Amino acid sequence: MKTRATSDRAGLSRRRFLAAAGAGAVLPIVLDACSSGGSSGSSGGGGGKSGTISFWDGEVGTGQLNTEAKKLTAAYKDGNIKGSYNLMTGNDYEIIEAALAANKGPTVAGGYAYQAFQFADQGDILYADNVVAAMKKNGVYADYLPGLFDQLKNSKGYVAIPYGVDTRALWYNKKLLTQAGVAVPTDWNSFMAACKALKKIGKYGYVTAANSSNSAYGTHTLAAFMINNGGGMFDETGKADCLFDRNVEAVEYLLEMSKNKYIDPGSVSYIDTDVYTALKSGRVGMALANPTIPQETGGTPTNTDFAVMSPIKSPHGTTGTIQYLKNYQMYTNTPSKAASEKFLQWWNQQFVGAKGFYSQGITGAVPIRKSAIALPQVQADPNLVKIIKEWVPVAKPESARYAHIFSGLATVDNGTPMVQCIQSILQGNTTAKAALQTLQTGIQQYGASYKA
Amino acid sequence: MTSTQARSTGVISGLARARKGVGLGGRGEQSPRPRRRFSYRSVTLAALVLPSAILVALIYGYPAVDALIESLHNGNLVQTGMFVGLQNYSIDFHNPVFWQSAEFTVLYCIVGVFGSWIVGLGLALLLRQKIHTPGLFKTLLLLPWIVPVVVTATAWKWLIATPASWVPRLTEDLGLGQVLFLTTPGLAKTIVCLYKVWLSFPFMMLMASAALAGVPDDIYEAARVDGASAWQQFRGITLPMIARSTYISWILMFIFCIGDFQSIYLLTGGGPVNSTSTLIVLSYETVFGNFQTGPGIAIGFVMMVVSVLISVVLFRRIRKVQIA
Repeated sequence: MKTRATSDRAGLSRRRFLAAAGAGAVLPIVLDACSSGGSSGSSGGGGGKSGTISFWDGEVGTGQLNTEAKKLTAAYKDGNIKGSYNLMTGNDYEIIEAALAANKGPTVAGGYAYQAFQFADQGDILYADNVVAAMKKNGVYADYLPGLFDQLKNSKGYVAIPYGVDTRALWYNKKLLTQAGVAVPTDWNSFMAACKALKKIGKYGYVTAANSSNSAYGTHTLAAFMINNGGGMFDETGKADCLFDRNVEAVEYLLEMSKNKYIDPGSVSYIDTDVYTALKSGRVGMALANPTIPQETGGTPTNTDFAVMSPIKSPHGTTGTIQYLKNYQMYTNTPSKAASEKFLQWWNQQFVGAKGFYSQGITGAVPIRKSAIALPQVQADPNLVKIIKEWVPVAKPESARYAHIFSGLATVDNGTPMVQCIQSILQGNTTAKAALQTLQTGIQQYGASYKA
Repeated sequence: MTSTQARSTGVISGLARARKGVGLGGRGEQSPRPRRRFSYRSVTLAALVLPSAILVALIYGYPAVDALIESLHNGNLVQTGMFVGLQNYSIDFHNPVFWQSAEFTVLYCIVGVFGSWIVGLGLALLLRQKIHTPGLFKTLLLLPWIVPVVVTATAWKWLIATPASWVPRLTEDLGLGQVLFLTTPGLAKTIVCLYKVWLSFPFMMLMASAALAGVPDDIYEAARVDGASAWQQFRGITLPMIARSTYISWILMFIFCIGDFQSIYLLTGGGPVNSTSTLIVLSYETVFGNFQTGPGIAIGFVMMVVSVLISVVLFRRIRKVQIA
């Protein structure tokens, strides 16, 4: 476009100005990146032999992991290439998107799977095929749980490499189930029966969070029950298919729970932290949540009132849940592609290898490397082990019936149509087909199906 | 011509002459002089105004033009994308959620502006009475405006949102059942509007207090002598005398309301089922939640145009008040 090219030469493009004016959140990181020499820009770029690998990391847990990661990055040195660490405090996607608009993006960044596909579609990602090939060659690839790398592949190659998973599992309050006199649920019927028993002792069976902002558990519940029943929002070709029979059954099940008042009625307005509060208060027996519930409810992995149940079986005998694949992405803002690839391999080995942070008892995600899983520090956490052994193998991304991840999932994940759907279910004033039709219409409206 | 008419004509003629500067000390009617296109004075004035004009153009004009361009393309925050004409506006106007949000935006602005004005004016009138420690009362009443929204919104949620919150427990103890105020559309709308009124009345109170301080007491005394009731004094003296300030406060509060993202986002996020979503919340969700940059920016641009139009109408009212 002529106008854009002209203004770019002038050094103040419209987009740069917009980004500078609007992206307050990214300013500290950008300034930090500038002060540390940026990456390719200050180093001659395009295959130059000096420069900085600007590694951007998201907030993890209590911050201990970030502190260690910062130290590790600062210690990186490969000839004249050094590492700089930037912590993203906020929405990773928004921060990186704004930085890319300002031409000050990261060299390497951590994030969720959908994000990598979004930026790959925009042409901001360096494909990690060489890194994967090197990992296959040196045997590191075989150390990973099977099937995870393939999820991060599009038609052009690997958009990222995985480092962990964020799996949604069903947790229960051991004391409350005992008090209610019910066994740990194993299928949909016993799950409903447990909810009923909990209601009889004045408790709620289930809690989730479906506030339109700062919540995700509500939409996770919707997706997890669909996947658990062998369904999912997309068909085998990646096309939106929300009214699939298995999805209708799953939503009818959730509606029944809602109408019977087994679900904490505040769920429709709760944010995620309200779920932890509800569980901690002892007024709710069960919830689908992330792997850190013991810590979120004030306990420790080995000293907690909460335990993970085995994946419950649907009426069709299927199991499943939703899972997000955490990964490292390489961006085009780099001293050289080779330098980025070298850093990523080094970082990956340091961080997620058996000799990495897991051996220090610092875990930011469910480990996916066999050597890390075998560590005594991981094995000492019975709930984490159960999640790895029983939930991770049956977990899927939101594409579910479609085998691959694609950028449209970012629009669907916790987007307006999903939020609207779960909110109407939790209010109990809809039918399964009406709720799913809203979801289907929304996904179609936003053009979120897979595009070849 | 009668003597009265002659006198009137004389007065009008005198006023006309005065306007032209004819009279004692005036420059009189000026003889036509050849007009220079750029006088030294006009260039100086332009030079003085230029930095501000550039600043305003950069801060307001540039983003507005950029938003307009973005709203006509199907790109994202990094790439402009293809020109699609008015397609993004069409997408928005055919989206029922847009109209639902527009409807609530109107309600939110009306309740926010007039609700807070009524409460603020009422309190400003009360504070005119002779009371002990008026400064203390004023300070306490200003708290909702002073305390950051993130704190007050969290406090409200803590009070009303969960079954363990104080207010639901109170309603349960009173036999009214467990009322969860943010879980049904009707109640959530009510709470969001009430919160806005609670948040904004101190500003209106300040504006009204300042305006009321400028109304001379002797006018009220004269009215009382003539037997005017309190209501008549309020309607006939107070309201007209503070009209200009009132219109300004309405404009400002309207701008605060239509652009208020944080209150709603923190309280309900626009839910349940989009019932408390305003256009600005929808715009944010469309861009950053649903990654639909063009339609999201189109919503923002529509809001800007509507805000400007309403502000222009209200400013014209202010001018009329000034002339009157």
